[in-house]
Amino acid sequence: MKELQEVLKDWEAVIGLEIHTELTTLETKMFCNCKLSHDDAPNTHVCPVCLGLPGALPVPNEQAIRSIVKAGLATNCEIQKHSMFYRKHYFYPDMAKNFQTTQGPVAFCMHGRLDLEVTGRGAAERPDCAFGEAEAQSLASASAGAVGLSADLSRMAGEGMHFGTGSKCAMSGAETGTAQGGPAPEAPASALAGLSGYDTAGLAVPERRDDGSYTVPIRILRIHMEEDAAKMVHVGGEEGRIGGAAESLIDYNRCGTPLIELVTEPDLRTPEEARLFMEKLRRIFVTLGISDCSMEKGSMRCDGNVSLRRRGDTRLGTKTELKNLNSFKALHDGLAYEICRQAEVLEEGGIIYQETRHWEPSHKRTVVMRTKETADDYRFFPDPDLAPFDLTDEFIESCRAELPELPDARRDRFERDFGIKRADAEQLAGDPQTAAFFEGAVALAAPGEAQQVANLVVNDLPAFLKAAARADADVVDDADAWLADGDVASAADTVEPAGAEGTSGDAAASSPFAAAGIEPAQVASLAHLLAGEAIASNQAAVVIEAMAGTGRDPEEIVDERGLRQVSDAGALQAIVDAVLARCSDQAQQYRDGNQKVLGFLVGQCMRESKGTGNPKLFNELLRASLS
Amino acid sequence: MPQSYDTLSAEQIAAGVRDGAFLAVEVARAALEAVEAREPEVQAFIQVTPELALAAAERIDAARAAGETLPPLAGVPLAIKDNMNLEGTRTTCASRMLESYESPYTATCAARMLKAGCLPIGKANMDEFAFGSSTDTSAFHPTNNPWDLTRVPGGSSGGSAAAVAAGMVPLALGSDTGGSIRQPAALCGVVGMKPTYGAVSRYGVVAFGSSLDQVGPFGRTVADVAAAMDALVAGGRDPYDSTSQEVAPSFAAAARGEGAVPVAGRRVGLVPAFMEAEGLTPEVRAGVERAAAALDAAGAELVEVDLPHVDAAIAAYYVIGPAEAFSNLARFDGIRYGYQEPGCTSLARQSALSRAHGFGAEAKRRQLLGAYLLSSGVYDRYYYAAQKARTLITADYARAFEQVDVILMPATPHAAFRHGEISDPTAMYLSDMYTISLNIAGNGGISVPVGLGESSGLPMAAQLVAPAFADERLIAFAAAVERGVGGAFAAGVGSPEGAVVPVPGSASVLGVAPAFAGKGGELA
Amino acid sequence: MPLTQEDVRGIADYARIALEGDELAQMTDYLNDAVAMLEPVLAYNLPDVDPTFHPIGDLSNVMRADALAPERDLTLAAALGNAASTRGENFRVPSILGEGEE
Repeated sequence: MKELQEVLKDWEAVIGLEIHTELTTLETKMFCNCKLSHDDAPNTHVCPVCLGLPGALPVPNEQAIRSIVKAGLATNCEIQKHSMFYRKHYFYPDMAKNFQTTQGPVAFCMHGRLDLEVTGRGAAERPDCAFGEAEAQSLASASAGAVGLSADLSRMAGEGMHFGTGSKCAMSGAETGTAQGGPAPEAPASALAGLSGYDTAGLAVPERRDDGSYTVPIRILRIHMEEDAAKMVHVGGEEGRIGGAAESLIDYNRCGTPLIELVTEPDLRTPEEARLFMEKLRRIFVTLGISDCSMEKGSMRCDGNVSLRRRGDTRLGTKTELKNLNSFKALHDGLAYEICRQAEVLEEGGIIYQETRHWEPSHKRTVVMRTKETADDYRFFPDPDLAPFDLTDEFIESCRAELPELPDARRDRFERDFGIKRADAEQLAGDPQTAAFFEGAVALAAPGEAQQVANLVVNDLPAFLKAAARADADVVDDADAWLADGDVASAADTVEPAGAEGTSGDAAASSPFAAAGIEPAQVASLAHLLAGEAIASNQAAVVIEAMAGTGRDPEEIVDERGLRQVSDAGALQAIVDAVLARCSDQAQQYRDGNQKVLGFLVGQCMRESKGTGNPKLFNELLRASLS
Repeated sequence: MPQSYDTLSAEQIAAGVRDGAFLAVEVARAALEAVEAREPEVQAFIQVTPELALAAAERIDAARAAGETLPPLAGVPLAIKDNMNLEGTRTTCASRMLESYESPYTATCAARMLKAGCLPIGKANMDEFAFGSSTDTSAFHPTNNPWDLTRVPGGSSGGSAAAVAAGMVPLALGSDTGGSIRQPAALCGVVGMKPTYGAVSRYGVVAFGSSLDQVGPFGRTVADVAAAMDALVAGGRDPYDSTSQEVAPSFAAAARGEGAVPVAGRRVGLVPAFMEAEGLTPEVRAGVERAAAALDAAGAELVEVDLPHVDAAIAAYYVIGPAEAFSNLARFDGIRYGYQEPGCTSLARQSALSRAHGFGAEAKRRQLLGAYLLSSGVYDRYYYAAQKARTLITADYARAFEQVDVILMPATPHAAFRHGEISDPTAMYLSDMYTISLNIAGNGGISVPVGLGESSGLPMAAQLVAPAFADERLIAFAAAVERGVGGAFAAGVGSPEGAVVPVPGSASVLGVAPAFAGKGGELA
Repeated sequence: MPLTQEDVRGIADYARIALEGDELAQMTDYLNDAVAMLEPVLAYNLPDVDPTFHPIGDLSNVMRADALAPERDLTLAAALGNAASTRGENFRVPSILGEGEE
């Protein structure tokens, strides 16, 4: 198979995501008072409602509705005042009623947008031909009805979709039209145009900047409210897979957990963009405090829809749906594999079947789960047991008033107020606890040393936690997974996010650093030592290990261990002289024009000084001595 | 002097227990004796619950002995339709599917009646999952109409109606999705009320049509039904039912002629198209006219009103009802509860055979009709049309109620029919032609006896209909009809001579069916 | 166009109701009769009428507080008590994909 970069020169990948997020920070389930449960004994958090017992009736959790409205506001969605719950029928024992209560054509949140900043190596995935005019055409011709949208949703096209009329409240009176099977005679004329939301002409088209980075707007079709299914364990087959299993066991603890499903427009063009979108969404949801967003535990799950078309083509290809993308890495690699697979099939003259495929990380491949010959008929209809929603302005505004500072705003503020690098600001702002910890440390730091604090919080502290986690896998059990995903700032995902209303002090106190016994004052003090070059930067790790859990001031540690950096030129010159006398060959090589050997000589000086010498000064003194 | 317990109204029993005239336990024993004596012929119950009834009675007697204030229906025997969950009993819905199902929780309606002091005598027979108008589709046994054992009691709440009509209990709970309280009440000569949708909690009542189902009481007098309504709405809206609403417990007052609904000077609507409909028997029509005359005599003004869209009600009902039924019954797959086909090695096969063998024919018919009507392409045509017809029918009633306070109409087109007489399922559906439109529109109705038919000798009834959440009007006007068409029963209740036995062809109000009056169940 | 037996078989498969013996023919007749009876409703698919899905007037936004109600919880025994097949603390179903049945 060709490499992704190669494939994307000839082919345009059209990617949409469906992202399910459990509202894990709530007390109770979506439609009953059962406690949300992740790890409890099977079937111990069930009641007549979530077990689907005869006669039981659902009552919606107000906090769940508030959470989804906040999610919509934070992702620039229009909040739909009028919407209803629907019943989606399928016979499978993970749904106790054999239908799922979900939303119909009108979701609480419709037509949002997030802007992705794509930088660094990831930005190179999008080839240069995919900018400007070509991208404008591409966006205009990628319709939600064709990709990026689950089959059942696209079949609901037409029901009362009066969007684009400028009406904030999309529905006038009841939801009208049809929920299934194409538009009814009286339905609005262009059902699919309605579903695709709004005119792409108004959308900013990404332009490549000089450093290769670009910003791309990703539209969100909708975020709807639904309930999660039970957990099933398949027994007797291979590795718990369903095929060959003799029986399956069902635990309804998870059944009825509030779940929000976000569906993007098919605006993503590279696996990196998909990964960045997911990361960005995760940061927003964690900041909102609506979920712990753990992909590993399954509280945030992602399916990808992907199709290919030749560059410049306006017709969409057949899409496949990818499942089991349960880490950021899996999301990227699964999509990358699938794009390359589809390209190979198409280039060999084959055809892509509309099917669901399973990403197998161990084999680095996708395999067919099932082929969709005909669309599933879920027999949607409005749930008569649940009153419709007509959200008031007061309700929506009270949700808006509870929104915390969101990651983008916080990033901009950190960059502006503290003068730190944008990339660091982005990392810090993405996680409420980390951000609060950082701010706490900066507040105690000397003026102008915010960047040193940022360096520590972004790089050194997570590296320490990671090492500690390795040493004791029980402490931070999935730090590795997150670090492997490049999500350094959120190294300790196991910590519950603070509620949206939580003060930053609370958030800082619940950060993984605080959990590891590191105090903001220690970090400020360490930053000061680094800023003043009182210790070498490579000694930071030693100090962190010594200060963690001890409450000791880094100044004291540095003095006690003799780590203080020597910047006395006289004292260092003696070392330089000694090293040059010992390494006369290397000295001669430098004089002969081999600049690289200087690094070796600095290293020798550092060793000679037991790590306390100022390497910059050694460098200068060496150069002077050798000239 | 021993007195037959069936001569007492619910109100009189509660008063007797309260005053110490007899113990609740004595009432419970009398009720159970009456059941034992009468049940072999009527077969109104699927399960009789003597332990629960006696335990409840003992609690009441102990409370009284302790000087506590007794609840309003203390010591009143109650039959509960078997689609209502009551801990300690099976909830079978008259289906093999749930033959051994024991609910771990209690329906709000049952809980409220028990809280009001009722003694749960048993779970009443019904059409399977409430699909029917005869109670003949019960998987266990048919129920016989106490007025003529060769005839059906109506349905689907036929067991509840028959238990009251045979004098086994003074009160019963039923559910009404298309007429399932009002039609059997009419056929058995008792009072049966379907309140406005949302007035009584549906929580814990096994759903048939979620937007149509409503719980209501049966009784032999309007006042008893009113007392039961007060008990059902006491405590306010049920937080476990999203569609339930707050209703003031003003029913007993309305029965006594108190409150804001005197009949004199009010306007009663008659729908000419209903009175001339094909299929309406002359004696039922005569019965409705008798009720009209009674209201006229009470000072009400009779006015003609038009409900132009109600002809769509049956068709709309047989779209919405089966669609919702399919959805509601999808959960019966034999996994978490219910009949499970043994020996299946695949899930799909287990589900399909459990459902094939657990459900009876009519339950399967309704579900497959519903599954078809909700399917892609079909849904657009039928379901939307039905819900739009619902809008128009609701508007019809709203317009009519601008002119009148209540509407008077037949409850059923004909008197009780014989077992097996109507074999075609779609013909059976017409049995509900006068009741269905209220389930579509949601407002309440009450079936009140008006005497025996001159040709059949069977109970006749009239139906009163009120605007949504004006259900106390149903009680006030039904009480006026009850008084007007005879009042004999009301006077006869509690008389030492026993219940007044209506004379065939007379205009007297009905009580306990004559063949059963006084049979077992003596109260010292 | 009337429903064929093949159509009805498809509906029954979807609805997980096995039709045996004469049932398929009888059910096909019934469904065609019933659908014919529904014909009058089609006249009501009027463009200017909103459907009423909930006969509850203006009732809307019915929600509950996000609070536990331990009295509603079922014990494990009560949860599993009506199930025909269980395994330990779980409900049990036979093989989902089947083993060559049908």
